[in-house]
Amino acid sequence: MSLPGYLEDKFSPEEIQFLVENEPIKIMPRITTRQKRRIGSGRPAENTTQWKLITTNDYNVNNMVAMNSTEVALWLALLLKQQGKCSIVAPSWLTLKQIDKFIEFEVRNPTRFANLPWNWLVIARLLFQRAPDDFRDPVHLLRGKVQDLREVRQGKIAKGLQYLNESHLQLDNLSLVEVNEMRPLVVGVMDKLKEVHNSTIKENSGELDDYDV
Amino acid sequence: MGYYDIDDILAENTKFACSFNYEIPGLGYLEGSNGKPIHKNAKVELPFWLGNVLAIVPGDHEHEDEEPQPFVQLLAPEIFSNRVINAIKANPRGLDIHSINGHFYALAVKWATLFSDAELVQVLSDMILERAQEINSHASSVSLDPDLMLSDTTARFQLTLDEFEKNLYRVTHDSYKRAKLWLTKK
Repeated sequence: MSLPGYLEDKFSPEEIQFLVENEPIKIMPRITTRQKRRIGSGRPAENTTQWKLITTNDYNVNNMVAMNSTEVALWLALLLKQQGKCSIVAPSWLTLKQIDKFIEFEVRNPTRFANLPWNWLVIARLLFQRAPDDFRDPVHLLRGKVQDLREVRQGKIAKGLQYLNESHLQLDNLSLVEVNEMRPLVVGVMDKLKEVHNSTIKENSGELDDYDV
Repeated sequence: MGYYDIDDILAENTKFACSFNYEIPGLGYLEGSNGKPIHKNAKVELPFWLGNVLAIVPGDHEHEDEEPQPFVQLLAPEIFSNRVINAIKANPRGLDIHSINGHFYALAVKWATLFSDAELVQVLSDMILERAQEINSHASSVSLDPDLMLSDTTARFQLTLDEFEKNLYRVTHDSYKRAKLWLTKK
């Protein structure tokens, strides 16, 4: 097919990263792009390049003032960071204290997942890798905590698999990477359970029992 | 289970024991004797795609007042015998389903559809669920070292999977592997 088989019914991790990179994030610019209006003349200075973006709002990018925090799309923040033109402000949940709280919640509630943002794993990985010098807490400790969090949740996911059935499943607060990782197994098993379950149901016994194709 | 689904075609090729309810001229080749008629009550192994249809389509009226019998009667096959069902109930995780039949689930679903076998459906559902846990635990252990051999238990488990489970194992493992590669790469 025109789409490779492994992409037919799920995202690759790279595609999820792409989705997450579209989210806004706070940065501290180290450059100033705001045009100074000269006293007297009302026009901005000429011969300067302006960002013209069509997929994201370019107002913030054209009005950066060094060391004044602003919000831009993550992909742009990473590009600027790469050139040393900004530092990225880590989100408030990505601190030792907050992650410790999440881990405690996970351990105390064996049947629920902590209320992390849907993109926590991707954000953590990207920032640890591309902006390790922008954290207040030591990165190696944060890395360890994030790994702890991931393992606790993976254990719960594996446990939750025994409740698969032919009708539904509720997965509150599961992040996109985690959902995507378990998607082939869960969908495969649930489809088969549905097929097995429906095999004895007569086709004309009612609308409700019909397949939703 | 689509028309072009190669696994479905292979599954339907599995032979089931049938007995004929009529004497039919010319069909002797099903028994291996060309040009001769097939006799009533002759036991023949027919592929499921043929037996399935012949077990549904009714033949001629022998007596006016009776319901017409279908051409063949499907006999209870070995793969859904009590022996197998009990083995499944006893220990679904350790069962070598591949040695029973490579397309066990596909055939079981077809069989359950044909005979509305609620008990078989229950056994199958429990079995899928149990074995899915095992598949998940084996498929989620990803090694990033290409030289590292599969562990013995995993290799042995893989040999016991039926075709549906093999596919499930493959996509699950692939998913975990891609996630891990992405998470660890620079």
